[in-house]
Amino acid sequence: MSVDSAAASAVAAPAGAGALGPRLRGSRPVLLPLAAAAAMLLGWQVADILLHVPSLVLPTPVEIGGELWRALPTLLAQALPTTRDTLMAFAAASVLGVGLAVVITYSPLLRDMLYPNLVFFQLVPKVALAPLFVIWLGIGSPSRVVFAGFVSFFPVVISAAVGLEGTDPAALRLCRSLTASEWRSFVLVRFPFALPAIFSGMKVAMTMAVIGVIIGEFISSQAGLGFYILNAGSRLDTPDVFAALVVLCALGVALYGAVALAERGVRRVYGRH
Amino acid sequence: MAVLEEIGQTGEAASPARFARGVLLPLGFAVLVILTWQILCEWLRVPPILLPPPSAVWAVLRDNYGILLQQALPTATETIVSFAVASLLGVALAVALTFSAWIREAFYPNLVMFQLIPKIALAPLFIVWLGVGEKTATVVAVFIAFFPVVVSSATGLVSAKPEVLQLCRSLAASEWQVFHMVRFPYAMPFIFAGMKVGVTMAMIGVVVGEFITVQKGLGYIILFAAGAGETATVLAAIVLLCGIGLALYGAVELAERVVRHRYGGAMPVGGVI
Amino acid sequence: MSAGAAARCIEASGVSKIYRRGTAAAVEAVSSVSFAVPHGQFVAILGPSGCGKSTLLMMVGGLEPVSAGSILVDGAPMTGPRTSIGIMFQDPTLLPWKSALDNVLFPIRVLKRPIAEYRETARRLLERVGLEGFEHKRPHELSGGMRQRVAICRTLVYEPDLMLMDEPFSALDAISRDEMNELLLDLWQQYRKTALFVTHSIREAVLLADRVLVMTKRPATIVEDLAIPFARPRAISIGESREFNEICAHLRERIEEGHDRPRSRRAGTEPLS
Repeated sequence: MSVDSAAASAVAAPAGAGALGPRLRGSRPVLLPLAAAAAMLLGWQVADILLHVPSLVLPTPVEIGGELWRALPTLLAQALPTTRDTLMAFAAASVLGVGLAVVITYSPLLRDMLYPNLVFFQLVPKVALAPLFVIWLGIGSPSRVVFAGFVSFFPVVISAAVGLEGTDPAALRLCRSLTASEWRSFVLVRFPFALPAIFSGMKVAMTMAVIGVIIGEFISSQAGLGFYILNAGSRLDTPDVFAALVVLCALGVALYGAVALAERGVRRVYGRH
Repeated sequence: MAVLEEIGQTGEAASPARFARGVLLPLGFAVLVILTWQILCEWLRVPPILLPPPSAVWAVLRDNYGILLQQALPTATETIVSFAVASLLGVALAVALTFSAWIREAFYPNLVMFQLIPKIALAPLFIVWLGVGEKTATVVAVFIAFFPVVVSSATGLVSAKPEVLQLCRSLAASEWQVFHMVRFPYAMPFIFAGMKVGVTMAMIGVVVGEFITVQKGLGYIILFAAGAGETATVLAAIVLLCGIGLALYGAVELAERVVRHRYGGAMPVGGVI
Repeated sequence: MSAGAAARCIEASGVSKIYRRGTAAAVEAVSSVSFAVPHGQFVAILGPSGCGKSTLLMMVGGLEPVSAGSILVDGAPMTGPRTSIGIMFQDPTLLPWKSALDNVLFPIRVLKRPIAEYRETARRLLERVGLEGFEHKRPHELSGGMRQRVAICRTLVYEPDLMLMDEPFSALDAISRDEMNELLLDLWQQYRKTALFVTHSIREAVLLADRVLVMTKRPATIVEDLAIPFARPRAISIGESREFNEICAHLRERIEEGHDRPRSRRAGTEPLS
């Protein structure tokens, strides 16, 4: 459950107010990190050239860019199965996770029975189970989807359960005083109250789903970005590894961004109702 | 509110019933699952390569504990070392970031970005750089355990209440005094939240590192046994991994309690969901 | 419903509330309270914090079961919340993602009545309490007093016959509180609903109510039933009259007496009209 702390707090992190003009201050939180990233890339490039680092060890950003451009069609084709598996795993984990969270919210017995076990699973290194999924489901895409779903299921269920449980008791009392049915107070109060927690669980789940699929591709696949990276690594084609990593990182950030965007949308809709 | 106060007066008694519900119920459920697993395996004659009964896993643990523990030792050592290094580096970088708003604003978003991308995919690069061996698994683990610690700590270090900081300024406290008397204690829950994520991440990093590189360790055992169809051995190794993971998490939790105790129980709650 | 019962809106006889928690000693939060409220009367329950007055109110509202005795509202025993009763809590309990107008309409949504028909009523109510132009503001954009005004509108919108108010203004500053008292006097003049108002402010009780019931802590029961003679409509300025202050002084005396009142003297002190 704590897996999210960093990601969640990161979004809310305030930027320190500086002594800049109002016009500059607005764009500073965006420009400054971008400039820092650009400076690091430049430093990398310059250091690489000056120190004559062989491209096998560390290719320059320009080299990586060239490789990326050259291999882009292949990389995008490889990204396709990775994306598909990740999305399927994420969707399954979200639906099942929220579903189970709702069930344990309404059944104290089930909650007391299951919750500590769910937390246990959250803490243990579930990635170690990856080879088992290969035994059970073969080396095809289903084994990766199920494994990634398994890994990303726990953050969702724990976060959603905490959120549903943490609904403002005063608001629930208000519902009760209005003779609202359980279902009515769930739809109107409990669920909207839990939405931020559910989404922060889903954001963690999305990053976990990508990780799950990549690990699955490391150990079993014949396609996908994970397979491509491992393959390029064993060929000692470091620029190719980096190019694939760039695509993978873009994919990870895009998928995370999609969840963050959906969060905004849903919250806005809930506000208008 | 008043109703709650009145209820509060009666106090919470730690009764045996609560213990039964909070501890025995989830444990009982876990035992039930294991028993069902055993019975189903025997009734349905599930091939042990697919799913061995718990008794077979136990038999492996009992008969081969020497070899298993011998393999668990490097895994545990690598995890502890990588976690320690990641924590030290993470907190140190977070502290460095607090002393300059400029540097923080320039680097923090980039660190958050790294938090979102599937860093585990970089593992093959470390093989290129460091070769195949224990060192690689450790460095991979440091690399992925580092980011949650630094992001969470950096958030915590700027989370001190503005009023308290104003008080410090009114007392003409030095930067160092403000840091170790106010900022650091306030950040403590965040640092521990980051470290808890870090310790689970270190475990994942070591296991994945062993999957793809090492010739020993529990990760290697898991992959090797899975390839040989010895599923009971896979599960036995996973049991040990879970044990190591929980013990390390417990150690961090314990350290947090000790520190909390020293700073008084009323420490603010960190960004754990 | 018999003719005799219909004259009285609330009839409480021998109402007690006992909390038992685990093995801890039982606490009697309300002990054998009896009173009756005729239709259209504004009754204040006055007492120190923790004397059980809020618990009593929640029992009248059907939100808490009685441990002994009975409460009839409109001749029927209370078994749970009813839509003919509107409850205002100490906290305004607005849903943070809904506008002021949507918060007012919340009961209509819960009760599945046609929203469109009530939109105009809600708008007029908000206008009535001086929130014209704030219909589309979210709760966080409103002051404490404004939020409580929205809560009043929310209670009035579904036209309950009986209003229960649990220290609704105790969290407000002195000036807002005076304003809210004035508003409540004004509204009551217009709607003439039966009202039960819990407060620990003597002046508030005397200003608003036709009748004040004084509750003490030990025993948690009613020790005084005082009719307030001021004619309606009342202005807040009656608070400066000598008679007003004499009544307040008398009530204060009764409350202070109740603090160290021996249990044996309770019998016979329950006044019923």
